[in-house]
Amino acid sequence: MTRRLLGRLGAGLVVLWGTATLVFFVINLTPGDPAITILGGPDALPTPAVLRQVRAEYGFDQPLWGQYLHYLGRLLHGDFGVSYRLHQPVLKLIAGQFGATATLALWAMVLGSGLALLVALTTAKRARWLTELLTWAEVVLSSVPSFITGLLLLLAFSFSLHLFPSSSTHGWTSIILPTVTLALPVAGVLIQVLRRELEEILEQPFIITARTRGLSETGVRLGHALRHALIPTLTILGVMFTTLLSTAVVVETVFNRQGLGRMMSDATTNRDVPLVLGIALLVTSINILANIVIDFIYVVVDPRTERHE
Amino acid sequence: MLSRSTFLRGGVGLTALFASARPVLADAPLDLPVGGHREISPGRPGGTLRVSVATDIGSLDPHALSATNVQWIGRILFDNLVYLDEQGIPSPWLAKSWIISPDGKTYTFSLRDDVTFSDGAKFNAEAVLINLEHMRAPATKSPLAGTYIQPYASGRVVDEFTFEATLRAAYSPFLNVLAQSWLAMESPKTITECPASLAYHPVGSGPFILESYKPQLGMSFIRRPDYNWSAPVTGHQGAAYLDRLEFEFVPDASVRYFSLASGEYDFTTDVPAQAAAAAQADQALTLTNRVRMGCPNRAIAFNVTKPPFDDLRVRRATALAMDRDGVAEIAGFGTYRPIANFLSETTQYYDASAASSLAYDPDEANRLFDEAGWIGRDADGYRNRNGERLGAKIAITSTLSSIPVIVEIQSDLRRVGFDLQLEALPSGQLLQQRNAGQYQAMSGGVWHTNTPDALYINYHGSQIPGWKQGGQNTSRLNDPQLNTLLEQARETNDTGALRSLYAQAQTRLIELVPAVPLYDNHTVIAYGSHVRGVIYDTSHETPHFETIWLDEGAA
Repeated sequence: MTRRLLGRLGAGLVVLWGTATLVFFVINLTPGDPAITILGGPDALPTPAVLRQVRAEYGFDQPLWGQYLHYLGRLLHGDFGVSYRLHQPVLKLIAGQFGATATLALWAMVLGSGLALLVALTTAKRARWLTELLTWAEVVLSSVPSFITGLLLLLAFSFSLHLFPSSSTHGWTSIILPTVTLALPVAGVLIQVLRRELEEILEQPFIITARTRGLSETGVRLGHALRHALIPTLTILGVMFTTLLSTAVVVETVFNRQGLGRMMSDATTNRDVPLVLGIALLVTSINILANIVIDFIYVVVDPRTERHE
Repeated sequence: MLSRSTFLRGGVGLTALFASARPVLADAPLDLPVGGHREISPGRPGGTLRVSVATDIGSLDPHALSATNVQWIGRILFDNLVYLDEQGIPSPWLAKSWIISPDGKTYTFSLRDDVTFSDGAKFNAEAVLINLEHMRAPATKSPLAGTYIQPYASGRVVDEFTFEATLRAAYSPFLNVLAQSWLAMESPKTITECPASLAYHPVGSGPFILESYKPQLGMSFIRRPDYNWSAPVTGHQGAAYLDRLEFEFVPDASVRYFSLASGEYDFTTDVPAQAAAAAQADQALTLTNRVRMGCPNRAIAFNVTKPPFDDLRVRRATALAMDRDGVAEIAGFGTYRPIANFLSETTQYYDASAASSLAYDPDEANRLFDEAGWIGRDADGYRNRNGERLGAKIAITSTLSSIPVIVEIQSDLRRVGFDLQLEALPSGQLLQQRNAGQYQAMSGGVWHTNTPDALYINYHGSQIPGWKQGGQNTSRLNDPQLNTLLEQARETNDTGALRSLYAQAQTRLIELVPAVPLYDNHTVIAYGSHVRGVIYDTSHETPHFETIWLDEGAA
């Protein structure tokens, strides 16, 4: 178990280094004038002296390899640099935004998977019309873009019924609509996977055995079928968690929330290299950790997965 | 190439959304009021104003920014040496008076002696000196303020409240730019002791003090009770009326409109153009639409050094083929005013007589294309010459929200046989092309300033963008006659001479057609009917917040 954990962590570090390198070169090799971008883009009207100052201060007059090594060196010392555009340390900026995105993503995961468990467990292998209806609902839920869901929820519950505020700054209830917006596509996908799995498992001989032993329908579903159906669902859940961060951009914009997604999108548009790299490294670390955690949950759910390695 | 119908559907869809929310009767909120720069009667103190804003500017040191929102954020936190009067002429603010030497190179300012910054520092000649040095210091990395005072050579503290600025050469826009928020006076104590903190904790002498700034989320300000030095032109006495200002960044256009209409906010600084008619029709809201000074919106800046736009006839014909009214309608949903001049009408020394010759005239456009030799037509209906199709690529940013405008122009030009192709690029790549001059045309944008010197910034030969210097002359125009006119205008302070020089410059630009001015640059704001006392900045036509008060009875 320990050896396995160490192995996964080591691989994680390699992935982190790869991410840092890839993002560094992709963003630096894209054509453009970083100095003008730092100064505000096409609206900037700097003097030649200011342009020279920016190029020297950020090392743009150095060869790219030199810039890369310098950057890696600082990274090893835990120095993520200062944002080009926001003029504040990257770590401070990320720390200020991380909580908001994490809270939102976790609530969305909880709500999405809770909804999926409930719907899938109660509806798998029931009347044909219900199956047809759910198939449609799953497709709609997982394919409607979040900005449309978000806007529709706002129109209905915020602007018409005045039940929830539209902006994150107006009280704790403001997290409900964005959570629902993010959770719906998660639920859509998860219901689909979990229901298919359950339907397949409910046909298996061991289920029939369980039924002949006189177990109730609820007992069969919760006690026997669910455990088997969870493994592929967990895999999907891991992937969904990653995509949540990108969907968060849209939700953060529509609902006026702070967050990493929006900061990442602004930073990319503005070519704010230190900030983009900082966020990329953070997101990669989270993904590595999430995958390690899910791996270990596999073992808990189905101890055979460890022996099979 | 981008499809026209996709964008139109997007626009129509959003408009339908607004229309469905409330009945839209009013057609075009194009009544453009003048005046409104002066407080008429004192308001009632107290209360908090909740404001929604489209974009966060990321940091708050005006000397280190070129962002548009600095115009009104600056007025909340800071004061300037001078303020324009209602005719666009510099008038007193922190400087009570000034004397300009006959050669136009020395300005001696006599300063107010009762002004303090919110950190306790005193406003005096030393403070002015420290501010001007901060604006131009390369370490400040100023994208605008430093350039606006580029002719400033040195400053001298004559006595505690007398400051003398010496310029390298006469520079008539000097006082105008000193009235702009990017050149506001910051606390000399903060500049000297902790310049890095200016980005997130700016300290000024303005009517409000920053309470908190949360990137992407919002910012709040509290009233400074001992404030008593509003610019005399505003007519305001004493402290601001509101206790607090709460600004929140609401980037989504439709959310911005609906959250205002539902009363979640009292005020928005950015009414989405597609929602202006709905806001106008709403009895509970007041919508105002004002035209800004400077260069109006140019959907296209021609690169006059590359074919096909190195041919004046092609430039003129292309300009004449654009249906300005139609384009303005598409861009502003009836909110933007079409204009065919290189200066906005509100700008000092605007010359109305120069305007008419770029009016929509497809017949004349066809005649000019014929004259330039583009006589043949290919199977798609485009003109050609010696087997070469008449057309050009326009480089735009891939995030540009005015793509529907370009698509409309594309279809106007198609009617006269010109093939305009859109090349949507990431902004970095666009800047690269801009520096290198590797483009046929670009989206021209606006240049918003409070002086007709905007023409120098946009069209003088020394302002061509490149690797070594920033620049706004994306037309890459270098016309000796125009250069001379604009240089002479910088060198004189004589109003008669300025009027004549700027009139000639406007006429010359109409002759040269380096770009196509299409519609004005507008400030469209809206607020609940309980919000009173809204006045506008004479430099930027943006709202002032120290005169606003809440009439709770009317809420």
